Amino acid sequence: MVLTNIPKVTRSWTTRLEAKKERMESVKSLVDGVIIPTDRIVEAMELLIRPGDRVVLEGNNQKQASFLSQSLVQVDPKKVHDLHMIMSSISRPEHLDIFEEGIARKIDFSYAGPQSLRIAQMIEDGKIELGDLHTYIELYGRLFIDLIPSVALVAADKADRYGNLYTGPNTEETPTLVEAAAFRDGIVIAQVNEIVDELPRVDIPSSWVDFIVVADEPYELEPLFTRDPRHITDIQILQAMMVIRGIYEKHGVKSLNHGIGFNTAAIELLLPTYAASLGLKGKICTNWVLNPHPTLIPAIESGWVESVHCFGGELGMEKYVEARRDIFFTGKDGSLRSNRTLAQLAGQYAVDLFIGSTLQMDGLGNSSTVTKGRVAGYGGAPNMGHDPGGRRHSTEAWYNMMTSDDPLARGKKLVVQVAETFQEANKPVFVESLDAISVKDQAKLALAPVMIYGEDVTHVVTEEGIAYLYKSDSISERREMIASVAGVTPIGMESNPKTAERLRQQGLIAMPEDLGIRRSDAKRSLLAAKNIDELVQWSGGLYTPPAKFRSW
Amino acid sequence: MKSAFLFPGQGSQYVGMLNDLPNDPVVKHILEESSDLLHLPIESLHNNKALSTTKAVQQCLLIASVSTYKVFEKNGLIPSFVAGHSVGAFGAAVAAGVLTFEEALKLVTLRGELMERTCDHGYGMAVVLGLDEYRLSEIVQQFFNEEEPVYVSNRNSPTQLTLSGSIKGLEKVIDYVKTHGATSARLLNVSTPSHCPLFKNVSEELLGELNKLDLKRPKIPISSNVNSRLLRQADAVKEDLAKSICYPVRWHDAVNLLYETGTRLFIEMPPGDVLTKLANQAFSEVRTMAISKSNIDDCFYVMSN
Repeated sequence: MVLTNIPKVTRSWTTRLEAKKERMESVKSLVDGVIIPTDRIVEAMELLIRPGDRVVLEGNNQKQASFLSQSLVQVDPKKVHDLHMIMSSISRPEHLDIFEEGIARKIDFSYAGPQSLRIAQMIEDGKIELGDLHTYIELYGRLFIDLIPSVALVAADKADRYGNLYTGPNTEETPTLVEAAAFRDGIVIAQVNEIVDELPRVDIPSSWVDFIVVADEPYELEPLFTRDPRHITDIQILQAMMVIRGIYEKHGVKSLNHGIGFNTAAIELLLPTYAASLGLKGKICTNWVLNPHPTLIPAIESGWVESVHCFGGELGMEKYVEARRDIFFTGKDGSLRSNRTLAQLAGQYAVDLFIGSTLQMDGLGNSSTVTKGRVAGYGGAPNMGHDPGGRRHSTEAWYNMMTSDDPLARGKKLVVQVAETFQEANKPVFVESLDAISVKDQAKLALAPVMIYGEDVTHVVTEEGIAYLYKSDSISERREMIASVAGVTPIGMESNPKTAERLRQQGLIAMPEDLGIRRSDAKRSLLAAKNIDELVQWSGGLYTPPAKFRSW
Repeated sequence: MKSAFLFPGQGSQYVGMLNDLPNDPVVKHILEESSDLLHLPIESLHNNKALSTTKAVQQCLLIASVSTYKVFEKNGLIPSFVAGHSVGAFGAAVAAGVLTFEEALKLVTLRGELMERTCDHGYGMAVVLGLDEYRLSEIVQQFFNEEEPVYVSNRNSPTQLTLSGSIKGLEKVIDYVKTHGATSARLLNVSTPSHCPLFKNVSEELLGELNKLDLKRPKIPISSNVNSRLLRQADAVKEDLAKSICYPVRWHDAVNLLYETGTRLFIEMPPGDVLTKLANQAFSEVRTMAISKSNIDDCFYVMSN
């Protein structure tokens, strides 16, 4: 049989491209090639961005497209309104001003720490429509599925006159955001600090970019990962010693990510001293996914570190990174290349261990950093702080987490939570019920904002000891283990010395003395560097800390 | 840089405070105007005896803060935001152009009188340090009874909270919290249990007076006491001014909101530097100045640069 009556196809398959051409045409008289004049950016935005558009605005916890966000808040809400914003991080006042001005209506984001009160109030007052709170990887993933942007507003260091971009050490998530818009006929506008004849290297090619605009001042950049060793306490040093002996050495942890707290900074600074004295060099902590933490300098200089892949840069570390090319991922020009999407993926799938600190943990090991009355979101910790079930490759540490003889048994990513049993103001860290639950109700969230789920946590470390949660599948036994290291908190009070002793005998918990650690040895004198100045000395003067960290 | 002017509330007053205001004709004018409106010499407002009454304290706070604000205004130095703690909110409302000074002076006079009349002896306030509001609220609920009511009132910082209510009830809570996590807890030298439901009638009478006035839309957004929102409408300011006396002052949130909105310079109107200290403790990256402790010319310089 032959089909004779094939209906004639009348639909167009290029509507998005046509719409893009029409928008590009509308600014023809404004622009000079790919360049939008600095003083005409608001006008250009009013033509290029249309009501109801999905707009991804670059802003994460480090780099901010600050000129573009400040310009967006100046557009006429009669012309541009009802935008659906997609942002990694809500950090700057104008990120929420655009909602108060009636320019934007809906938000999907990952992190809102610096605006956590305001966004909570706006949700309560119905001034902002909340999409979802995401981890970074989820948000980036959805840019290619159901949150495809019509417009991407991003930041780069330099451009050439064709629109090629150099994003350098702070490449971060720019390529991902640009890709989602550029290859789906969206419009990509990049703010740049300057236009130069020749770029050090091309991080994003001009064929992905529609317009560039020279910003009135360089984009905002926060030195978020700098921890001054002066603030590391003896308790944090004790915890760091326990982690090194009781987790890194015990399981042979070679690849890892560290959070940004002082307790992980303490671990970094104990590698060349305490860990070296245990003969662990080369056996642990060789391959990292980590920003260029200044506190990692002594370990790098002492030959502990083989490689570091970075989410972003860190202010002041540029020259040091360039001079340690064997360690970091660098371009032909010498400078760091970071990539938040790939580093998050690596941190999720490719490393042995994630370790971070928490402010609150319940009896089952669920943890959260939220405060009542605030909506802060997540960021990257939940991506790295979970056991990705699809993992297939085995490493010594991962394999070491296997607890059954089942022929199909698998290993586990190590997810370690470090906490002191009390935070400031006598607030117990170990509690019956997480504040995240009341935040869920207050902000009408679909899910309670739990940072790390208890089922993923393999180890809990407090000043009392380590609970080896991975060793037990029994919920009641895991609860006993947590209680026995939870001090005199409400959860800790459930524990009794007899149970604790039994758990110790079974190797389910360990006290410092079980690990051969004397509490009295946990002193600041063990730190390879005790202040920022000593980090500068370790770096041979290559590290140039931002002014606010200089004490001399 | 965005700036906010802060207007202090009760507790910042001291004897002779109106003699320490900036030496400027505008200040002199407000002092004279106040004296005329109140039919009193200024000296009789801020002496030891007068300052033992809530009414005179509130009058003095308004006069001191507004007259100083007017010096800035005359020099064209207008902040991005204003906020006032408790009775300080009336000064902030004058600065924002919602109330005239005369209207505000009448209102705080009435407010002071009503407060004094409503609860006589046996009531007061306490301050508790080192516990958060959720924990303290649990404790207060545990102790609550109708005869000796106690309420958590002002949230000055995450761990500096006040209690309001009956002295007997307050003493019981103080004894308990001292051994249950508080680093300090003591009675304050005030005779009025402000910012709790005991002052519901005061709030209603104030609202009645406010309803008689033609309030203007704020020219400067005001960070509010009751719900720590930025107020941009006259009605919202009216509601906050009336309600504040029977609701907790969410001062920490009010300042936190200003911080998140981009404020990095806080200037405290006289008297005192209580609010400056709170802002400094809460946010390490802000610049703060209290007129009482700094040279006003320095404040002018910082504001205009």
